[in-house]
Amino acid sequence: MKTRDVFSYSFSAIKLRKLRAGLTTLGVVIGIAAIVALLSITQGLQNTITVQLEQGLATDTVIVSPGRSLLSGGAGQGAGIGATLGGDTSDFKLFVNDTATVNAASSDIEASIAIVQRLVYVQSDNRTFAMNVIGVDFAKYADFYSSTFMTDYGNIALNPQNDTVVIGKRLNDPWKNGTLLFNVNDDINITWANATARPPKNETYTGHVTAVLKEVGGFSFGGPSDTGVYIPISQAQSFFGTEECSMIVVKLKNSDKTTIDNASKAIEDAFNGEVSVISSTAVLDILSSVFSVIQLFLVGIAAISLLVAGIGIMNIMIVSLIERTREIGILKALGMKSRTVLMIFLSESVIIGLIGAVIGIVLGWGLANVVAVVLSGGGLFQGIGGNQAATRIGSGLMTITPVLTPTVLVGALAFGIGVSVIFALYPAWRASKLKPVEALRYE
Amino acid sequence: MVPVVEASNLKKTYMLGKIPVEALRDVNLTVESGDFVAILGPSGSGKSTMLNLIGALDKPTAGTLLIDGVDISKLNDSQLADLRRRVGFVFQFFNLIPRFTAIGNVELPMSIAGMNRAERRRRAEELLETVGLKERMNHKPAELSGGQQQRVAIARALANNPKFLLLDEPTGNIDSKTAREIMSLIKKLNEEKGVTIIMVTHDQHLAKEAKRVMQVFDGVISSDVVN
Repeated sequence: MKTRDVFSYSFSAIKLRKLRAGLTTLGVVIGIAAIVALLSITQGLQNTITVQLEQGLATDTVIVSPGRSLLSGGAGQGAGIGATLGGDTSDFKLFVNDTATVNAASSDIEASIAIVQRLVYVQSDNRTFAMNVIGVDFAKYADFYSSTFMTDYGNIALNPQNDTVVIGKRLNDPWKNGTLLFNVNDDINITWANATARPPKNETYTGHVTAVLKEVGGFSFGGPSDTGVYIPISQAQSFFGTEECSMIVVKLKNSDKTTIDNASKAIEDAFNGEVSVISSTAVLDILSSVFSVIQLFLVGIAAISLLVAGIGIMNIMIVSLIERTREIGILKALGMKSRTVLMIFLSESVIIGLIGAVIGIVLGWGLANVVAVVLSGGGLFQGIGGNQAATRIGSGLMTITPVLTPTVLVGALAFGIGVSVIFALYPAWRASKLKPVEALRYE
Repeated sequence: MVPVVEASNLKKTYMLGKIPVEALRDVNLTVESGDFVAILGPSGSGKSTMLNLIGALDKPTAGTLLIDGVDISKLNDSQLADLRRRVGFVFQFFNLIPRFTAIGNVELPMSIAGMNRAERRRRAEELLETVGLKERMNHKPAELSGGQQQRVAIARALANNPKFLLLDEPTGNIDSKTAREIMSLIKKLNEEKGVTIIMVTHDQHLAKEAKRVMQVFDGVISSDVVN
């Protein structure tokens, strides 16, 4: 029997029981839709975060922060996340003048700057915004981040006045509709809850906005951020009453992996392993592996629904086989080989799997887009990246564009058909093994 | 010329639970090309077993059975299926596929044999014309009378140019008037087109229509008479 005739025969059998076939297909549709939706959303999310990180990170810089790394014990790549995750249990502190130690650590290091960063509150009318105040050396910072520490309005004074404040775009035009919160020449009150004072009190710093940064658009990781409020580092030190710094940004001679690894190692050694050094490439690597695990997990869950669909297919096939016993007897009496009977049943499952997978992919893709719109609009992911302010200001900080890679497309198709065929194997085999004499006698 | 069916010392034993039942004992028969043989016997005589063996649906326990010169006991499953394409089955209950039209049913054996679409359609139309049912070819079995369904079944049996038609109580499920029409069609096929006919029946009147009648009783051929 020709392949085309086998399929046409199978199709006629499916058409005969439309509702039953439809419900069976629905199982595959749901499974594949879930897989496609989850994969394309996580892929889109990963792309968005990666792109934003790449914007906010210079590849030739590493970030030194206090605390041992939990992940790697201080071996360059991958270090630092542990500290970020709260792995710091020692009382080691990084100070502003530690930049000298960093600079001396390796010949691969070009320069370094200390950053003092604290969560503060900014008042405007009756609203309070949580922001990060960042104390930096404006001149060096502008040199490190020449493409992002740039102004939209006003000027960044390289030798700033004491009350100079540079604000991120989000504090200027939070709703992106022209309603300005703070503009150049405005005064700005920054409040910090000083918990070390007895009794704890709020300390307020009044500054003068001299510049508004261009929109950075990404997450900041040491680099300029849309939600940052920048003041001279000396001011930050006296305002917060500390010599401590949050991190030291180190600029390397180049962005080669060996340079990054060697410099990271040298810096960690210089501080006896009490600091963690993290590079943008390491962040991206870790992010990518985290996403792989998340994807695997989500797909695993979605695959369970496909498994259920598979069992449904098997069930239906067995019922169909019993109903069609006599028909199989007739076919065999007319000279059909067992192999062809097997093919007929398998091709029925291929048709169901194919239709289910195609509808599932379309549905999953649609679902992913709907979810992406909801997520982007609802601002659920805006807090990622440590920019707490974003949860309060505006919306749409991050736009997720679902991505349907050819691998996912082909994989979903193959998976849908594969599951259908695998679960149809047993019923098909049983059908092919029916003895013609007995099958013909079946009522 | 090779006989279409040649059986010698044919035995078939079934196991009914743990008890062996001898359905056929030492059957010897030869059917030549162009013959019209009726195998007559009451129920339980072993005629259905003989039908299954001659139709290559089952294998004998002992003895040899040559169908178109091929010893069926030496064939595997797939080869048996090939051999069945040389046998034209006509069943008591028609056994048409309900979802296919008359012409679809006639095309089915040719489709199984791998014939291309245009050719099998042409031949199916021809065959339906032979059995006088061309104008009803696009009707499904449920829209046809018993006699018409049996005509479709005969057309289907002839599809792959079989060595012989094997009919199992071909008029057992239709009224007597239609039965006579079917019988005259079968006789016409035998006389005018030279189609070899082997008909299994319990009906003595029907058997009289054949050129030769073999009486089966208790698993053996008790008489073999040429009319």
